[in-house]
Amino acid sequence: MVNILKGISLQVEAGERVGLVGPSGSGKSSLMMLLGGLERPTGGTVRVGGQDLAVLDEDGLARFRRDNVGIVFQNFHLVPTMTALENVALPAEFAGKDDAFERAEAGLKAVGLSHRLEHYPGQLSGGEQQRVALARALVCQPRLVLADEPTGNLDGETGRQVIALLFDLARLHGTTLILITHDAALAERCDRIVRLADGRIVEDRATAPLEAAQ
Amino acid sequence: MKRFLPLVLARRELRAGARGFRILIACLALGVGTIASVQSLSRDILGGIEAQGRSLLGGDIAIRTIYHGVNADQLRTLEGYGTVSESVDLRGMARTADGLHSTLVEAKAVDPGYPLVGAVQFMAPAEGMKPAEVLAQKDGLWGAAVEQAALDRLGAHLGDRLQLGALAYEIRAVIAKEPDRIGTGGFNLGPRFLVALDSMPATGLMQPGSLTYYDTRILLKPGVTVEPTEKEIRRLYGDAGWRVSDSRDAAPEIRNFVTRLATFLTLVGLTALLVGGVGVGNAVKSYLDGRIGVIATMKCLGASGRLIAWTYLIQVMALSLVGIAIGVAAGAVAPLALSGVIADHFPVSVHISVHPLGLLLAAAYGALIALGFSLWPIGRARAVPAGTLFRDLVQPAGGRPDSAILLATGITLAALIGLLLATSGQLVFSAGFAAGAIVTFGVLGLAARLLAWLAKRAGRVDWIRRHPTLRLALANLTRPGAATVSVVLSLGLGLTILVTIAEVETDFRGEVERDIPAEAPAFFFLDIQHADRDAFFNTISAVPGVTRVETVPSLRGRIVAARGVPADKAVVDKRYAWVLGGDRGMTYAVTQPARSHLIAGKWWPADYRGPPEVSIAKEVALALGIKVGDELTFNIVGRDLKATVANVREIDWGGLGINFSLVFAPGFLEGAPQTEIATAYAPRSAEEGVERVVNQNYPGVTMIGVRDALATVDSLIGQIGTAVRLTAGVALAAGTLVLAGAIAAGERRRIYDAVVLKVLGATRATVMRAFLIEHGLLGLMAAAIAIALGSLAAWAVVVPVMDLHWRFSVGAAAGVAAIAAVVTLTFGMVGTLRALGRRSAPLLRNE
Repeated sequence: MVNILKGISLQVEAGERVGLVGPSGSGKSSLMMLLGGLERPTGGTVRVGGQDLAVLDEDGLARFRRDNVGIVFQNFHLVPTMTALENVALPAEFAGKDDAFERAEAGLKAVGLSHRLEHYPGQLSGGEQQRVALARALVCQPRLVLADEPTGNLDGETGRQVIALLFDLARLHGTTLILITHDAALAERCDRIVRLADGRIVEDRATAPLEAAQ
Repeated sequence: MKRFLPLVLARRELRAGARGFRILIACLALGVGTIASVQSLSRDILGGIEAQGRSLLGGDIAIRTIYHGVNADQLRTLEGYGTVSESVDLRGMARTADGLHSTLVEAKAVDPGYPLVGAVQFMAPAEGMKPAEVLAQKDGLWGAAVEQAALDRLGAHLGDRLQLGALAYEIRAVIAKEPDRIGTGGFNLGPRFLVALDSMPATGLMQPGSLTYYDTRILLKPGVTVEPTEKEIRRLYGDAGWRVSDSRDAAPEIRNFVTRLATFLTLVGLTALLVGGVGVGNAVKSYLDGRIGVIATMKCLGASGRLIAWTYLIQVMALSLVGIAIGVAAGAVAPLALSGVIADHFPVSVHISVHPLGLLLAAAYGALIALGFSLWPIGRARAVPAGTLFRDLVQPAGGRPDSAILLATGITLAALIGLLLATSGQLVFSAGFAAGAIVTFGVLGLAARLLAWLAKRAGRVDWIRRHPTLRLALANLTRPGAATVSVVLSLGLGLTILVTIAEVETDFRGEVERDIPAEAPAFFFLDIQHADRDAFFNTISAVPGVTRVETVPSLRGRIVAARGVPADKAVVDKRYAWVLGGDRGMTYAVTQPARSHLIAGKWWPADYRGPPEVSIAKEVALALGIKVGDELTFNIVGRDLKATVANVREIDWGGLGINFSLVFAPGFLEGAPQTEIATAYAPRSAEEGVERVVNQNYPGVTMIGVRDALATVDSLIGQIGTAVRLTAGVALAAGTLVLAGAIAAGERRRIYDAVVLKVLGATRATVMRAFLIEHGLLGLMAAAIAIALGSLAAWAVVVPVMDLHWRFSVGAAAGVAAIAAVVTLTFGMVGTLRALGRRSAPLLRNE
């Protein structure tokens, strides 16, 4: 067995925006998976919004994610057989919300895709797909959004637009945002930067308020 | 109304189309189609038998007696119920006028009222004529109508005279269709020879003790119903030894035959479905492997494992329904397409209709197989961790599904077996099939795994490591997620059946051709008059070349009671209940017959003068649960005789000599009406001489050539072989579908391999060689398993069951290896050519 994360202690406040940085293999993704309840720690505790994730079983974790966590992936991970609207509605449908499609439509409108509701992922550009993914991550208004290199597969301009949107929406809903990125400038836009190396936190600092406010 | 979310999601997922499910659909369509066709056809035939009951029976009620017909008093009573018609059935020899040719025929003598129901159809120029006109005596000569086969065997024509016993008949018509032929029951050894009842006494064939059946048929008067009349007849004449049957079940033998055939063919379909189930499982697994990203995404978004399982189960079952529907539709129209074949083989006009219950049964089998084989991969998909999305390498789902899925799989399997046992009507046979299928699948699966493991080990051998194409081929067969085991298993089943039947046939035919003739007599003679015995013996013994003649007295009778209990209530082992089925041959002897040995009791002394004693075959003892010292009651030509069991014999029935299951001590039966049975041993060159002498001197003696009888047995074996080959063929077709599915599923991998190899400098020929070796090895693995298991199965049939010599058949092994290699190489070649046709650049850019 390989211990990927070692002796990590990290507390993130509600509504805080944290940039998670570090070289490949430093443990960024593993940390994010622990926070999202996608993997279980071999030791230690993970609490999100007061909930100890260790006591939840597989389906309990799925419900926890459904109600509390939105995830944005580098590769978008939209379901190819579903339209943009259906993709966005999916978490709300899982949560049994009757207004799933109204919420999804509003979400897509918020990311500027109200004209793309019935398009399938294959009919959308990369930037549009990531905006759909963004709308999907936020459709249930989660308390925590995890974003794993959300601009990694996008060109510079599109990436900037997506990030602006992500920050705006997070601020609007008061959502806690944890953002993995290789982009130093992007990390600096967060409230706080946590740097990992070899499974340990090697730096944890607040960014300049001015930039964070941008 | 609240939406059922799994249904909504399944419908969305189905938008991707049925591309990955074509094999699943084909597998189910093949198996369900086979079962649905069998169900429809058999129900049509059974329906035909039921609808034509009166015509098949020749009336509303039929009474069959042996040795003597109903007496005048009884006849008057029967005539009170309606119109009565009488006929006589017996076997005899038809001979050409010159006495040179003879053949065994099924003679039937009818009265002018025949047939009471339906019509006998004659071929031109006698078409439209009534039997009474054809058979009537004209200018002192009686007429006969025969089946074409009788004319063919004797080289005779319409208008010729043929001798039946002592009487010459003019052949006036060829029979095209005899309405009550199958209703008569029993199996037919020769073609029909139809004559007038009044002519029969002059043939001299109706001798006391010769096997003659008297049939009395009644067409009930209006207002008289079948059931109460039949009951009354049974009440009045229950103890007269009559076999009474009625039009509600006119042809029980055919009905039983069709029912058994339907069970067998349904099991053939089920075999195809089982093999197809492997294809279903592979298709579902391969599809779900491609959906791992979507499944993990849904889990990240909060979907529970349960929701995932339901979503994909609904999707798989929806697509399965497409395959099932195709199969059901094929089954519904099959009787239309096959009506010609039915008409050739079943003398019943079949009314073709749709049978919802039969089709439903086929659909239920298909649905249970689809469910049973897809639950496992769905269970694995359910366990796909959401975190998979964060890893670069998407591993196919593996491991064992959770207990809920295992339980559901178990329940499905139980339901499948339950359905089979509840609906087949042949409980033991079907249970045997179920057990056999489970064991066979288990053994094939283990053998396939063993070979895959060996292939993996072989990949590490130095010599192979130095041959990149071979190494690549072995690596492809043994990489994680390879479908090698399932392909070898599913192809292996059909091939194993092929090897088994080929070896059993070779061994059996070898026995028939080499071993039996050496010790078997050349002829059996039946119906020799007791008084003619010595003359017959001397005549035949004098024919040049004849080495030995044996004669044995023959009586017919039945066991009516065992230890005072009526025989039908005394049966303890139904497997041997046939010993009670009607009249059996019996004899008396001073010395113990050859080819039998005592397993209990003692043989009587040569000068035995005590009370009646009988020696019984082991089968009789087992049927009735009787032992030495017990009393049996027999009815021999109308008289009851009580005898004590003196001993029990085990008889070697394989030697083709004469042997009786019931042998009496001397002193009790010598005076009863009886005939003699004889055998003559002679080389082939002497056979014609024997035939001529018998034809000229003993027109009433029935002569059966062992060579002809063996040819009949051989053709029977051939028919069984054809039925088993049909099973193998259908199983092989299903196995080929599994192979095609595996090759289609591996297409992406093969294209990628081909591109990478080409980029690294491999020529197309090198790449092709590697792929062909891979598929050739796959075929050889399946063949190796089939040869090993098939030979083992053949040995198990040949040695312990048939008591013959087992020989390994090189021809069968080579044939099966060739079939396997051709199938795998052909499909492999198609896949390889597709892979090689791809250009490298686009793929590498995408990667």
